[in-house]
Amino acid sequence: MPVSEQIEQRLRAAFAPRELQVVDDSESHRGHAGFQEGGESHFNVRIRAEAFVGQSRIARHRAVHKAIGPDVIGRIHALAIDVDA
Amino acid sequence: MTDANAQIQETITQNDVVLFMKGTKSMPQCGFSSRVAGVLNYMGVEFADVNVLADDGIRQGIKEFSEWPTIPQLYVKGEFIGGCDIITEMTLSGELDTMFEENGVTYDKDAAEKIRAANG
Repeated sequence: MPVSEQIEQRLRAAFAPRELQVVDDSESHRGHAGFQEGGESHFNVRIRAEAFVGQSRIARHRAVHKAIGPDVIGRIHALAIDVDA
Repeated sequence: MTDANAQIQETITQNDVVLFMKGTKSMPQCGFSSRVAGVLNYMGVEFADVNVLADDGIRQGIKEFSEWPTIPQLYVKGEFIGGCDIITEMTLSGELDTMFEENGVTYDKDAAEKIRAANG
């Protein structure tokens, strides 16, 4: 399964978001540190879910990191997160 | 406590503003580190830069210390503030200004306004 799908599945399961976009942005980092042929190195996540109501920015990001899981986080090079309630 | 932990604790205690980054503030090695260092430089904030690429113990240690898996990481007065996404959001919303003011960190308000005007 592509990493982006894996990220998407886990975020859906954890937060039941009303809006979720997971983009493999690796190609735009071609030539930069961490780029690997075939992509799957740099990801952008945009997520909107009720689950984040009342949480600080850091808490929201931590929750997203946790849901994605250390196995996936450890494999990718970069993860940009845009999270809101 | 591991050596890396002790070293990190000492660094964030001795410096009001610390950026753990890939590369240095004058020569960043990663776009995300570059963005945060650039904002701090532009806003005239005095900060210590720690190049995690120069020390693998610190590179792994900082992620465990803050329980945050990515670099860069900004600390102010010993507190973890956030990574690239959070610092960018806080810069644009003005929360970064407030946080610096609350912590007695000197910065150039006009420069902060210019960043917001250019990214509004």
